[in-house]
Amino acid sequence: MTALRESLGKSGWAVRLAAGLAAFILFAVPALVLVATSWTEQRFALFPPKGFTLEWFGEVLTSKKWLQPFGRSATVAAIGTALAVILGVAAAIGVSRLRSSRAARAWRTVMILPLAVPPIALGVGLYNMGRWLNLSDGRMALLILGQMISALPFVFVLVAGAITRLDPNLHKAAQTLGANSWLIIRKVELPLLGPTILAAAVFAFVVIFDEVVLAVFLLPPGVETLPVTMLRASQETMTPALTAASTVVSLLAVLLLGGSQMVGRGKKGGADAP
Amino acid sequence: MAGADKGVVAKAQAGRGTVEKGVLLLPVAVALVAGVLVPLVVIVVASLQDGGGAYRETFSSSLFRAALGRTWWMAVIITLGDVLIGTFYALAAASARRGLQALLLGALMFSMWTSVMVRSFGWMLLELPKGALYWLAHTFFGRSEPIELYQTVGGMYPAMFAMMLPFIVLPVLAATRNVDADQLKAARTFGASTWLTLRTVTLPAIRPAIVSAGVLVFVMSLGFYVTPLLLGGPSNLTVSGVINLEMRSANRPDLGASMSVILTTATVVVYLVSDRFFRVSEKWG
Repeated sequence: MTALRESLGKSGWAVRLAAGLAAFILFAVPALVLVATSWTEQRFALFPPKGFTLEWFGEVLTSKKWLQPFGRSATVAAIGTALAVILGVAAAIGVSRLRSSRAARAWRTVMILPLAVPPIALGVGLYNMGRWLNLSDGRMALLILGQMISALPFVFVLVAGAITRLDPNLHKAAQTLGANSWLIIRKVELPLLGPTILAAAVFAFVVIFDEVVLAVFLLPPGVETLPVTMLRASQETMTPALTAASTVVSLLAVLLLGGSQMVGRGKKGGADAP
Repeated sequence: MAGADKGVVAKAQAGRGTVEKGVLLLPVAVALVAGVLVPLVVIVVASLQDGGGAYRETFSSSLFRAALGRTWWMAVIITLGDVLIGTFYALAAASARRGLQALLLGALMFSMWTSVMVRSFGWMLLELPKGALYWLAHTFFGRSEPIELYQTVGGMYPAMFAMMLPFIVLPVLAATRNVDADQLKAARTFGASTWLTLRTVTLPAIRPAIVSAGVLVFVMSLGFYVTPLLLGGPSNLTVSGVINLEMRSANRPDLGASMSVILTTATVVVYLVSDRFFRVSEKWG
């Protein structure tokens, strides 16, 4: 915003320089160091890397030790994401239908509440639930439930935000033309919310894929998701294979999330064009 | 007659509306009860199984009391620090030209999209006794003693600042759109100083976003687990770390439960009270 830029006057450049430094030190440096150690020829991940080899990437992408937990994480995240999206989108539309603003406010408070519950406490609760219900095989279901809950606030906030930006006249017009509520949801709201729902789904997938605290508590011994494998490996030694695995997962997340944002932008741009 | 018809239609619509709302909201209500309320009730029950003994033991445990103080101060310092850095970061991004703006936001989004654990690994590699910081200090300043940062309280802070910063920057950046350009111009025309303009025009417009983002960062910092565990190490556990210890190594699920109840009560009360006064849940997102 130009007015904001002018209002900062001569101190503006100092503020921007400081922010650039903060971005470099807090965000870029740790990531660059991590990626660099994944091509070292040494057996320990240490900066600066010595030599250059793709051996560790090869190991991560071919060994069962990494691929099996990766597959498990992907499956668990896919199920959790599907649930979080269905429930989150339904809740966002449902809350937009509430006439009483007090009820809508209360719902918003409750939908964001899971962010305030410490993951470890949720893990202890779900773990005890599993023991009391004597669910030895059902632990996986509890894990999916808990991880779905941890992604739910993000889906809700994103979709509810997009709903408030929809043109309210569309709803009225469809109603006047005799469309019932379900038809309005299916033919008017869901198509317009599509890009947001896609972005929310990808975000939820990444949140669930990366979740580690609940997984540590609820997975039976010997069964690991990728973050659990990585956490255990990090507590032994930092190996280049571990940093290579970290690099691969981060790259996938950035591609997925960046891609979904591009799709959203592209669609929105198309809709705005006259 | 037309009026009566209208009434009937309205009633039918209202009836259908209730069914519709029910169908839309009931599933999520069930999920929240099963996945949040029941687990929380379960830990309360588990913590009370020996008539409150677990709480007495928790409060007399020096390990827990030290962790509580450490966690509290960490959350306070991270919140205040990130509110300060994050507000200026957002102002910088909002006032920057396109290239710098893309750089500032790109770095922030890339970082946020990477898992907390992977980011913590990055900080570990920096902080290890002979890690990247040592290399830097050794190469440019000839330092030969190893760096003592990894697995100390100080080692947690930079990483925690970085983890929580996006949660301040993004809401505040969104709120900079509420800053009135005409008021900014008026302030300039009348010769108000940069500081006065910031204080009387910009800040009031973004303050609600700063407060609600700060509350969420505070609450999330209280419950943070992975980063303090990896960087603070076993002798500087936060409350989450002590809970993990009681559950998994000490085999004291009762203490794990009572500590979880205390931690959750703190975070949920802070969230609900500030939501009541500052409408945190409305400003966020």
